[in-house]
Amino acid sequence: MSGSIALNWLASTPDFAVPYALAALGLIISERAGVLSLGAEGLMLVGALAGIGAQLALGQPAVSLVLAMLAASAVSLLFAVMVIWLRVNQVIAGLALVFFCQGLTALVGSLAEWTNHATEGIGGMALWPLSLLPGVGRLFEQNAMGWLTLPIFLAVAWFLSRTSAGLRLRAVGENPQAADAAGIRVAMWRLAAVLAGSALVGLAGAYISVVSTKLWIAGMTGGRGWIAVGLVIFARWSPWKALVGALLFGCIEALIPQLAAAGVQLPQYFVMMTPYAVTLGVMVWVALARRGGDDEPGALGQPYVREERR
Amino acid sequence: MADASLVAISEAAQTDPEAAHRARRQPLAGRRYALEIRQHMGWRRQALILAAALLVGLAISAAILVAAGVPADELANEFVMQTFFDGQNFRAVLFQAAPMILVGLAGSLAFRARFWNLGLEGQMIWGAIGATAVSMWQIGPEPLRLPLMFAAAIGCGLLWVLGPAWLKIRLGVNEIISTLMLNYMAANFLLHLVYGSWKDPKDNFPYSPQFRAFERLPELGAGVSSAIVLAAVVALVAWWLVGVSRAGLYLRFVDANPRVAHANGVPVRRTIYGAVLLSGAMAGLAGFAVAAGQEGRLTQAFYQGYGFSGILIAFLARNNPLAATVVALLVAALFVTGRSLQVFYQVPFSMVQLIQAVIVVCVASSDFFIRHRLRRVGGEAAQ
Repeated sequence: MSGSIALNWLASTPDFAVPYALAALGLIISERAGVLSLGAEGLMLVGALAGIGAQLALGQPAVSLVLAMLAASAVSLLFAVMVIWLRVNQVIAGLALVFFCQGLTALVGSLAEWTNHATEGIGGMALWPLSLLPGVGRLFEQNAMGWLTLPIFLAVAWFLSRTSAGLRLRAVGENPQAADAAGIRVAMWRLAAVLAGSALVGLAGAYISVVSTKLWIAGMTGGRGWIAVGLVIFARWSPWKALVGALLFGCIEALIPQLAAAGVQLPQYFVMMTPYAVTLGVMVWVALARRGGDDEPGALGQPYVREERR
Repeated sequence: MADASLVAISEAAQTDPEAAHRARRQPLAGRRYALEIRQHMGWRRQALILAAALLVGLAISAAILVAAGVPADELANEFVMQTFFDGQNFRAVLFQAAPMILVGLAGSLAFRARFWNLGLEGQMIWGAIGATAVSMWQIGPEPLRLPLMFAAAIGCGLLWVLGPAWLKIRLGVNEIISTLMLNYMAANFLLHLVYGSWKDPKDNFPYSPQFRAFERLPELGAGVSSAIVLAAVVALVAWWLVGVSRAGLYLRFVDANPRVAHANGVPVRRTIYGAVLLSGAMAGLAGFAVAAGQEGRLTQAFYQGYGFSGILIAFLARNNPLAATVVALLVAALFVTGRSLQVFYQVPFSMVQLIQAVIVVCVASSDFFIRHRLRRVGGEAAQ
């Protein structure tokens, strides 16, 4: 592999990594508050569709991304009511949400005729002066949303580990009984975590449709939401490890078109299996490596039932 | 997560109830009702609540259909009259029901062992691939061909779930993710076959060559496919297994509490393996039912929608095999109606997914009213 291919590969990696990173970050927020959010695949589709709809109507990428976040949050309200107040099994509620969103987005997308309409996305944004470096300068020409991902990670990681609000959120996910006893409103914190987390998952979906592919096709997320769920387990619910994991996945996905461009003949459908195979491999590796400490939020997936308080 | 501050909060709550009590939010003086957990509810009221939830779900679905452009006065006609009282459409429902019943049973069996087998589609794909391989390579004499395809489908479906089962039981790998990832891999392998060496040489379309007549599930009288008989037999076997046999008793122990089951001498691992592998085998059979019953060949997207339908059927049927059969018939009717809506009103087929999800949301939410009640309390603090 020549140097220029390696450079192209690295330069295109962030574009593949950003959706994984944002979706995993959103999931971490919600799961840290104890809500197992299996609906990510569906919420990404909602974000992707809302983003492209807004983009076709208004043509303002920034507005489209924000609207996509709001749309995903709004849909996740349904999930939040189910799991927080109605105490529905979180796995069933998450699966129903995915199914609901797949149906809804395919329906709305075809009724509104948003399918397969190309839009203008976001152009590159060079990070001056690093982009002027000879050779490797190209690595610093990413789109604005790609750059924005880093401050988002910084903000969320800081919020979760350094602020008292973040501490409350984690307390709710770790031991809701104790948190309630300490005066933290469990349901409200969980609701806030689900809505905020879903907004990021929606942003991840909108990144795929508005920024990367610049069009909408039903079911276009192709399992990335599920991979993000796996990524969170790999990252042990830590934002920075999730970012590393997302970059790893981005690297693998970005390698495929580069190899094809270099004329390497690979069986196409086996190549398309790689992200899923890698996810599976990573899950096995995590299971093998996990000895001793377990950092899963203590109350992950469990409804908090105040009436059962002892 | 051993965060010092978190530990501090929980310790404060445990060691100093006085302080915790002071910090606790006092109930509002004006609050007149309190939520409490209901210990038991008669089956009649449970059925009433379930029926109400279904009605709400159907009403929402009807509203969505009307919004999508189906005339309101045609709805009842389409769903009830055309689907159940028209001979041809009713046969179509039975035709559609066979794989639906099989995936529904597959889901119920795995969930009874507390194993979230979301890989039903992958196992179905492998079942169909196994059956098609027997046909492609002409394994065995003609009269034995169909039984061999049947066995290959079972074997392939079973093997495809063996990996996740082993990973979950031995290493604790989350089966939700592993089975889903295997779905995507199976789907890509299917595409590899139908776009590659298994492509029909006659017309170069991405599907396998057509099965010969003796490789297809025969038709019984009146245009009813024998696939539905196969599904009914499997449903009866599943019912016997779960409800009557010793293995079913073990399964109930494991479902209730694996640790206690182990302490009572139930072979927990073997029970879980058995249930999960059978689940994979049944999903493989569903693939066989579609390939040898409906399509007569291996096609590229035959499995779509079955995985989630199987899970939702199992959920709605509370993992009961006989109930799953009934629910699967209704879901099959929904599929058939969905196809006709697609043809007549250009309503996308995804509508079927949406309606299934709406109904599951309503039924799942209605559980709350079965498990809880509002109790009137006095004006002062009610703790």
